[in-house]
Amino acid sequence: MTSEPVVVAEGLSKRFGSLRAVDDLSFRLDAGTITAFLGPNGAGKTTTLRMLLGLARPTSGRALVLGRRYAELAEPALRVGAVLEATDFHPGRKGRDHLRGLAYAVGLPARRADEVLELVDLSRAAGRRVKTYSLGMRQRLGLAAALLGDPELLILDEPANGLDPEGVRWLLDFLRGFAARGNTVFVSSHVLAEVAQTVDRVLIIDRGRMVVESSLAELTARISGGVRVRSPQAEQLAARLAAPGVEVDRDGATLIVRGAPAERIGETAAAAGVVLHELSPAAGSLEDVFLELTGGSGPR
Amino acid sequence: MTNLLSSELLKLRSTRTNLGLLLATLALTLLVALVHGYSTSKSSLAQVDEQRTLFGAGQVSTLFAALVGVLAITSEYRHGTIRPTLLFEPRRTRLVLGKLAAALAFGALFALAAEALAFVAGAVVLATRGLGFALDSGDVLVVAGGTVAAALFWAGIGLGLGTLVRSQVGSIIGLFAWLFVVESLVFGLWPRVGRYAPGPASQALSGGTGADLLRPGAGALVLAAWVAALVAAGAALFARRDIP
Repeated sequence: MTSEPVVVAEGLSKRFGSLRAVDDLSFRLDAGTITAFLGPNGAGKTTTLRMLLGLARPTSGRALVLGRRYAELAEPALRVGAVLEATDFHPGRKGRDHLRGLAYAVGLPARRADEVLELVDLSRAAGRRVKTYSLGMRQRLGLAAALLGDPELLILDEPANGLDPEGVRWLLDFLRGFAARGNTVFVSSHVLAEVAQTVDRVLIIDRGRMVVESSLAELTARISGGVRVRSPQAEQLAARLAAPGVEVDRDGATLIVRGAPAERIGETAAAAGVVLHELSPAAGSLEDVFLELTGGSGPR
Repeated sequence: MTNLLSSELLKLRSTRTNLGLLLATLALTLLVALVHGYSTSKSSLAQVDEQRTLFGAGQVSTLFAALVGVLAITSEYRHGTIRPTLLFEPRRTRLVLGKLAAALAFGALFALAAEALAFVAGAVVLATRGLGFALDSGDVLVVAGGTVAAALFWAGIGLGLGTLVRSQVGSIIGLFAWLFVVESLVFGLWPRVGRYAPGPASQALSGGTGADLLRPGAGALVLAAWVAALVAAGAALFARRDIP
């Protein structure tokens, strides 16, 4: 692991005619981190990833992975694994042959295809043609291809699309384990909640421009909807909590407290001998603020 | 380059498409040999010229070799596999050359299989009609070698065309329109220009005897120039274009 950033974008821009698909984007990803790349559909996420991977040429700016442009790395597939579309397979080709074709191109042996099929739990489908695969199986086959070269950086575009909840959990567990070994993950999604519990950092873009670049903790703090408290002595607790910067709304036995962390609310209640029935973060926050941050612009 | 070639060869043989094209090649070869063999008068079929046509029935493989070349690149666009392919080999000119080598190998395979079948079918035709084999070894070399050479060139033309056009349907329509409409018109109206088109050059290579055709060697050179021009133009554009 090096201290150099694993991915660097500097003033990265891509225009299609008059459309600024990606507009002056700059960011860095550090080794060993999982970064979510968020934004509504059409925000420019895929175009950014295509430029990182050498499939599209930036109109201006630079996109570097592991210190170089992708195409200038020696055998990039042995260091970077990527999946751009869950559907990039010939339907009439067997899963194993798809992987072997890619493995051979970088001098990997045929058995490497079987190893990665095992990793993504597709061994039993290896000899079947891809047209018989479900979308979830195709996602896993794509991931298997990305893992062929035992990479240190994974770049995944909407990998959770088409996965059932169990599949999403499997994927996120997998990514956590991958990053825990010092590897780096850059994963795009248009659904924040999908990845929120797994990532270290979030980049949110909208209309090609950076909207938010922060750690997940900062983002959560920034958008916190407060703490929800239920108590039979709600009125008494509300009085005890009153302090400058603390805002308390009471509705019967329920309080919504802003400006005080759950720890302090709990300690205050204990000191006053107040019984608590509930102490929890107010819900809805992440997705609401995601929509608010991206201007609620919706798909373009 | 060996790695890339084994990757591309696996891609060509791991779908049923090329197997289907090979079977179609063999079926058409057999059909051409039998129809020609049994519809030609006995006295004509005793002659060298007619026997060259009979044993040259494997020439249908050249069209299929062109399709193999077209599909080697356009099916990658059609199914999106061009993306993972380029992630594993981002050097685009190299990739085109790897695909060219694989397409040529398959073109040669198609031609050899078709000619082998044509010689078996031709021998059966001659035996059943009580005729002797009129070709000498030089004729055999011209017939079989000409078919293999033509298939190699056409596989290259197909790959170059597919790399330029990208669309599978567009490339195939373009190929057929060129072969059966444009080229025939040009060759019919201005044969001294039209003979440099790939189709007439290919006829010349296979020992075609039309008055306006080039000599076989010149036909080979003209075809090689077409392959080089199309592959170079395709590779140059491929290197510059964004991948969707």
